[in-house]
Amino acid sequence: MIKTIAPTDRLIVAAPSKGRLQENALAFFSRAGCELSQGRGARDYRGLVLGVDAAEAAFLSASEITARLANGEAHLGVTGEDLVREEIADPATCVEILTPLGFGHANVVVAVPQAWIDVRTMADLADVAGGFRARHGRGLRVATKYVNTTRRFFAQHGIGDYRIVESSGATEGAPAAGTADVVVDITTTGATLNANALKTLDDGVILKSQANLVASLKAPWGEKAKKAAQVILSRIAAEEEARTTREIRTTLEDASDALLQEAESAFGARLRENKESGALAFSLAEKRAPQFCDWLLTKGAQTVTSAKFDYVFRAENPLWARLRGRIGG
Amino acid sequence: MRRPLPLAKERRKAGAGNVKQGMDRAKIQARLEAALAKFAAEGFERYEPALLQPAAVFLDRLGEDFRGRLYLTGEGGGSDLCLRPEYTIPISLGYIAAGAGAAPAAFSYGGPIFRADGGEATQTGIESFGRPDRTVADAEILGVSLDAAMAAGAPPLAVHLGDAGLLRAFFDRLELAPAWRRRLETGLARGGALDAILAPPARGNGAAGAGVLAALEKVDAAGAKRLVEDLLAIAGISAVGGRSASEVAERFLEQAALQEGGIGDDKRNLIERFFAVEGAPDAAADELRKLAGEAGIDLGAALDEVDARTNFLAARGVALEDAVFSTRFPHSIDYYSGVMFEARPKGAGLDSPPLLSGGRYDTLLKTLGSTQDVPAVGAALYVDRLGDAA
Repeated sequence: MIKTIAPTDRLIVAAPSKGRLQENALAFFSRAGCELSQGRGARDYRGLVLGVDAAEAAFLSASEITARLANGEAHLGVTGEDLVREEIADPATCVEILTPLGFGHANVVVAVPQAWIDVRTMADLADVAGGFRARHGRGLRVATKYVNTTRRFFAQHGIGDYRIVESSGATEGAPAAGTADVVVDITTTGATLNANALKTLDDGVILKSQANLVASLKAPWGEKAKKAAQVILSRIAAEEEARTTREIRTTLEDASDALLQEAESAFGARLRENKESGALAFSLAEKRAPQFCDWLLTKGAQTVTSAKFDYVFRAENPLWARLRGRIGG
Repeated sequence: MRRPLPLAKERRKAGAGNVKQGMDRAKIQARLEAALAKFAAEGFERYEPALLQPAAVFLDRLGEDFRGRLYLTGEGGGSDLCLRPEYTIPISLGYIAAGAGAAPAAFSYGGPIFRADGGEATQTGIESFGRPDRTVADAEILGVSLDAAMAAGAPPLAVHLGDAGLLRAFFDRLELAPAWRRRLETGLARGGALDAILAPPARGNGAAGAGVLAALEKVDAAGAKRLVEDLLAIAGISAVGGRSASEVAERFLEQAALQEGGIGDDKRNLIERFFAVEGAPDAAADELRKLAGEAGIDLGAALDEVDARTNFLAARGVALEDAVFSTRFPHSIDYYSGVMFEARPKGAGLDSPPLLSGGRYDTLLKTLGSTQDVPAVGAALYVDRLGDAA
């Protein structure tokens, strides 16, 4: 029983319907304090966004999510950049990529048989493609499901005489099966390519993709949908900032202005508290926290603590600001 | 199944074209009929291929780049069919299917073609197959299509000529290393600057590649093949894909040859002079004859053909005082095998779109399935553009 999505003023959040991508996406929304609940049973493709009344979840395949974002049937969605670039003809006018989510990493690459030891770069491949028809009576065949991505990348490298063999599964097996000469495929570790006696060209990485939170610019953005998006994006931004920042506390007697300035310029550490007792609190990027703590010790600190926040809410939310800039409001 | 998404920008363009077409439809129809009447009077038989065409043949012949310009469709949302994007290939296929071998036949056509980057456009033209008297047929096709353009209300036109056969003859006589010839042909087809094409190739390969190239400089083709086969065997790499070990070895040898000090000053100089030739057809042919004589290469047969064609054009009364022959005619020579031509309103720059274009494509029909070579030459008129220019 499929209900058509009426143009009521609800925010539709599209999330992957299966596999590790779904697990990661659900974990992401749950961390952000807006858990997606799938209706009764795993087969129901609609669900709720807990705590956000004006929003509902839709569980779909990644490629379907991309299509719905492009034509405005979903407001927000989790999908790979590879699909956004491949399946949407004019991404800049249809969608806004809000933020990378840190999972679903994969590269779209050009891979050729390992036996082609004379081919290591796209320039080599262009040369081979140029002479292929004269030698074999047909153009070079490229197996891929990334038809548009391939066409753009090959055109950039001056390769024109080739044929795409559309392939929706087991692309990497096409050269061994004799249905194609080279492939453009998505890979995480390159192991599958290796197992099929293929290698990635040195400059053959077309796109480093990962899962992204993507907003539709074509969806009906009513007041309630906007409000719901603002709530969700504010929680996502608060969780993201909390996850990526640390609060560093220490006590330093007579901390000079020069020292505080150096903390800011060398480590990006922002001062949050500076009490007369000499107690100091900074916040800074998680990655630089250890070095900063070491540095504080060299400046005479006896104890330095680092703590993680649950959420860092801010009046001005960069994700919502970006979306608002595109949809108005 | 992938769902095709709307191409927003292209749709707008096509939409705008349709509005204009609505206003001008009667005018365009009148122009089309005038051109077709001229073709009929000259003995060309009307032939209209289907609007819906198999997509594969266009992608095979015109390259995968062309995919973005096709309106693709198919049963159940497939993409194996397309709206007719041009006439030459469907008419050639029709001629082959009729099974007359290489018997002479002359067709005219006229109607809509569809390109995703331009929407619907009206094209008319002629194709001539199987004429052994090539230069006469060349002159007739260009002459008749110019007459038809005038009948359809075109302003006075200036003709731009080139010759893919002359280019091929020149490359043959230069006796270039295969890798250099490929570089030149693909570079010129893409409209690249001669300086960049002739620059010594920058190698992406690291020291390992350089080592193999150095080793291969001392061996012949058979030795190179053994070396490559041994390398693959030692590394335990199984051969997959459409290239054999000897093909890989051959390309290594070519690359080694490329490394040896570029294309050479004499050849470079000759190539630069050849591609600088542009002018009135007679004067250009004279200049090329002189150039070939000095360089000691034989372009006699190819240049005789250029001259014969010019004479037949003059005999037909084609105005040649505004014609320009250029060795860098802006076309990929892959499709064409002989004369190439375009016509624009007098005084219009070569970067403006032509009102008429065409050429000889003797090798195309065999690649489309003909069992024998069929001499073929054709011309197309862009009927919608006639109104803009007039």
